[in-house]
Amino acid sequence: MPPMDSDSAIEIRDLVKSFGAARAVAGLSLTVRRGESLGFLGPNGAGKTTTIRILSTLMAPTSGSVSVLGLDPVRGSAELRGRIGVVPQEIALYDGLTARENLEFFGRMHGLDRARLQESVGRALDEAGLADRAGDRVETYSGGMKRRLNIVAALLHAPELVFLDEPTVGIDPQSRNHVFELVDRLRAAGTTLVYTTHQLGEVERLCDRIVILDRGRTIAEGSFEGLRRRVGGARGGRGRLEVGARADEALAALRAAGIEARFDEELPDLEQVFLTLTGHALRDEADG
Amino acid sequence: MIRAALTVAAKDLRLFVRDKVALLMSFALPIVLATVFGAAMGSVFGGGDANRIELLFEDLDGSPASKALLVELQAQKALQVEVRADVRSRVERGSAPAAILVPAGFGEDVAAGRKPRLVLYRDPGKEIEQQILAGNLVPVLMRATGPAVAKEMMKRGMEAMGFPAGMREMAESMFDAQPKAHDGAAATNSKNPFDFDGEGASALGLQVEDVAGGSNSSQKSAGGSHAIAGIAVMMLLFGLTACGGTILEEEESGTLQRVRLTPNAGASILVGKMLFTVAVGLSQLVLLFVYGGLVFGVPVLAEPLALFVHSVAVACAAAGFGLCLAVLCRTRKQLEGLSTLLILTMSALGGSWFPLAIVPEWFRTIGHFTLNAWAMDGYQGILWYGKGLSGIALDVLVLLAIAVATGWFAWAGWKRRFERTD
Repeated sequence: MPPMDSDSAIEIRDLVKSFGAARAVAGLSLTVRRGESLGFLGPNGAGKTTTIRILSTLMAPTSGSVSVLGLDPVRGSAELRGRIGVVPQEIALYDGLTARENLEFFGRMHGLDRARLQESVGRALDEAGLADRAGDRVETYSGGMKRRLNIVAALLHAPELVFLDEPTVGIDPQSRNHVFELVDRLRAAGTTLVYTTHQLGEVERLCDRIVILDRGRTIAEGSFEGLRRRVGGARGGRGRLEVGARADEALAALRAAGIEARFDEELPDLEQVFLTLTGHALRDEADG
Repeated sequence: MIRAALTVAAKDLRLFVRDKVALLMSFALPIVLATVFGAAMGSVFGGGDANRIELLFEDLDGSPASKALLVELQAQKALQVEVRADVRSRVERGSAPAAILVPAGFGEDVAAGRKPRLVLYRDPGKEIEQQILAGNLVPVLMRATGPAVAKEMMKRGMEAMGFPAGMREMAESMFDAQPKAHDGAAATNSKNPFDFDGEGASALGLQVEDVAGGSNSSQKSAGGSHAIAGIAVMMLLFGLTACGGTILEEEESGTLQRVRLTPNAGASILVGKMLFTVAVGLSQLVLLFVYGGLVFGVPVLAEPLALFVHSVAVACAAAGFGLCLAVLCRTRKQLEGLSTLLILTMSALGGSWFPLAIVPEWFRTIGHFTLNAWAMDGYQGILWYGKGLSGIALDVLVLLAIAVATGWFAWAGWKRRFERTD
């Protein structure tokens, strides 16, 4: 592998991963800059999970080269594991332990000393909004509480790069909103993020750049705006004009100038309606 | 209604046939257990030398009469007679359930028509063997010690049972007329219970000594020792296999992968599981032995160091076994099915359910391919025969070897399954 650009968190060149005759990843090349938030999209079976497993040291590539934070994920796996965080799609927590016990366990496994462990666990509980329920067993938590704990458990050791695999599956809008704010704080702190989801609105909200995979290859890459223009441009001109309160006059002027125009009033989407009606505060009662 | 019921039944049957664990438990397990029990009771493979009771023989007399007694005993199909020196301590250590010592002067007594003296050393913990032994010894001793002794024994027996004097005299005259009528009366292979603790032993010139079991030589204590040790070992295997199964539980929940993504993962996960499993196992054993001591009078404090070391070895071997199974199985359901089959079979073969002393020799040999047999030998040695650390060293070493071997297999399976990245 050629020397990695010091500005890159991830560099992948011609990555191939085969399982027998099937190719899960078929020649993927990709660069993720440090501090960037990358939306990693694709339909089921596109190769996202396999790629993330390779990047996070759990699987070796069949061919091609991979560098993560300047390390080979196979040969430098032990060091790399201390510098990356992985938020799994499933709730990977011990139900019989409390939130604090879960966090202390994962913190110790990351080799945090006593002082740093206490500080990290306290901060993580605050970030997850679980400080007042820290002593309760996870099995008594709602889905949203478990999801938030699932995320902060991957951040205890302050990783430079975090993989988030569908971190908001099955939670209410309040918890999702809380997760968004948490991701925003990670971005603001300069953490590199690779965000995988089928909720495309989340990518639009949280990611600087998007890579769309299909059949193990990149089929599109760029900013949300760039991708929109690429697809939208092919379909003909649609645009948005901010005219304030004088919409009728603006519409008449455009039509008088021979420009085809239409007025669509912009209304809040359903999530905005829901949050306006129910509030943004977290609802942490157990599911039921 | 019938059609719907048939549809439900057909669906359940289809699911059942596809469930390998259910098939195993429903069909394989009963056959395996029936085979093991059948074999243990000597009802398969044509009987053969099933249930031959080992009897040690020490001849301090060396007379023709003592040699004739040996020949008579060796002719008993139910007995496996071995000539040994120092038979008392051998029985005391549990090497054999009983021994006959022929003291010097035996031949002279027989020749002179006097009631000869013989010593029978017994291990009272092996109650079933004693009954079989007694049933076979009586006719042999009656033949070997002469008709006068046999007649005396018959006379005492009839008196004890309250026969009228006339009937006793008639029997004595019949005995005199047909001196061989009693031969074989007790049947060569007799397994009828016979109690040497009563008049019989004295009439035959037998001095009976119970030499094993120390101060705890009650049947309650012997039975308690076996029951507690047997159940402890079997339940330990179940318990520790369940502990090993937490690997599969964590794999299914995703926590195992999360732990593997930490820098200190790798061998530490499996070693941690092993430590946890051994700790649970030891706690389980401590609880059961305390209970056994309180309720059954099992002498758990007689050899505390030996008991502790042996229990550690047993827990390590069982933990290795549990972890080995856990990494070999793909799912918890698979683990439950396979472990139930293996543990019940091992428990039956290895003496957790019934003493291996009552089963044929070949069964004992097979039984010692299980960790249960070595665990039971050690516990019986400590709790019944009062053996110290040196007395159970072989059992401990074998169990530790099992722990190392199963631990190695578990590690190899772990690496293949969880550490490989290809």
